[in-house]
Amino acid sequence: MEFKELDPILHSQLRLAVISLLIGLKEAEFTFIKEKTNATAGNLSVQINKLKDADYIEVTKQFKDNYPQTMCRITPKGIDAFEKYVQALQSYMNITK
Amino acid sequence: MEQPFNEQSSLQLIESMINKAKNSFSESGTLYLLWGVVIFICSLTQFFADRFNYENANYIWLLTWIVAIYQVFYLSRRSKKEKAKTYAAEMIKYVWICFACCLFLCIYVLIYKKAYDSIMPVILVMYGMPTFLTGTIIKFRSLIVGGISCWTLSIVSILLPNQYQTLCVCAAVVIAWIIPGYLFHLKYKTEQAS
Repeated sequence: MEFKELDPILHSQLRLAVISLLIGLKEAEFTFIKEKTNATAGNLSVQINKLKDADYIEVTKQFKDNYPQTMCRITPKGIDAFEKYVQALQSYMNITK
Repeated sequence: MEQPFNEQSSLQLIESMINKAKNSFSESGTLYLLWGVVIFICSLTQFFADRFNYENANYIWLLTWIVAIYQVFYLSRRSKKEKAKTYAAEMIKYVWICFACCLFLCIYVLIYKKAYDSIMPVILVMYGMPTFLTGTIIKFRSLIVGGISCWTLSIVSILLPNQYQTLCVCAAVVIAWIIPGYLFHLKYKTEQAS
């Protein structure tokens, strides 16, 4: 069986957590992601920027009730990358069985 | 958290995050209870008014306009508090918008055509649609049962004399909205406490 290489952008705990969370949501606030991943704001911000640079997520900054709000949503490229990552994981698991 | 990790833990992490996203949808049941109680009061008042030949009872239905205005404020406040939007919540939102438009148009058409006898059975058919769909989207059995009950009661109502049709509406809102609303409320309280 062919071994598919794991996407290095997704094969990192926090980035994978963010993408896995966003795959099931239309969009989510930065604070929501921070709460669900138990990450620090600084670390999360860095990882979100990496996902954004790879075009896996879309980040929108806006104001809500005079407070800044950062909204994140997964892009079609991000969905595709996530699906490929899961397929690669499955193929890897089959090989190691 | 930057360092790579193994494939088994990747799968576990994906599963746990997907579950967290799934659980972020929560319904307090407030609007189900509110609308259920209001429609119940209006229908029951209408029933007794018809029974005792009191003609001005139709005005009780103006209560629904007050609730509709309150709902706009309630939903806008709730939307401001929401930190994440689920696909289920989006779908449900459009199902209920579609219901409100169809209900309004159906009632308008039936009144225009002076088909007053058909208003309550049609309202029951309409009540069943969003209730059933919401139940299937979020897999909430009580709403599915409620939706089917509305449709059954709409058939029952056409077999009954006009004035008893409002009692079918009373029964429908208890089964389709008040009971699920109460169950949502209990579930929501438990989630908030944990």
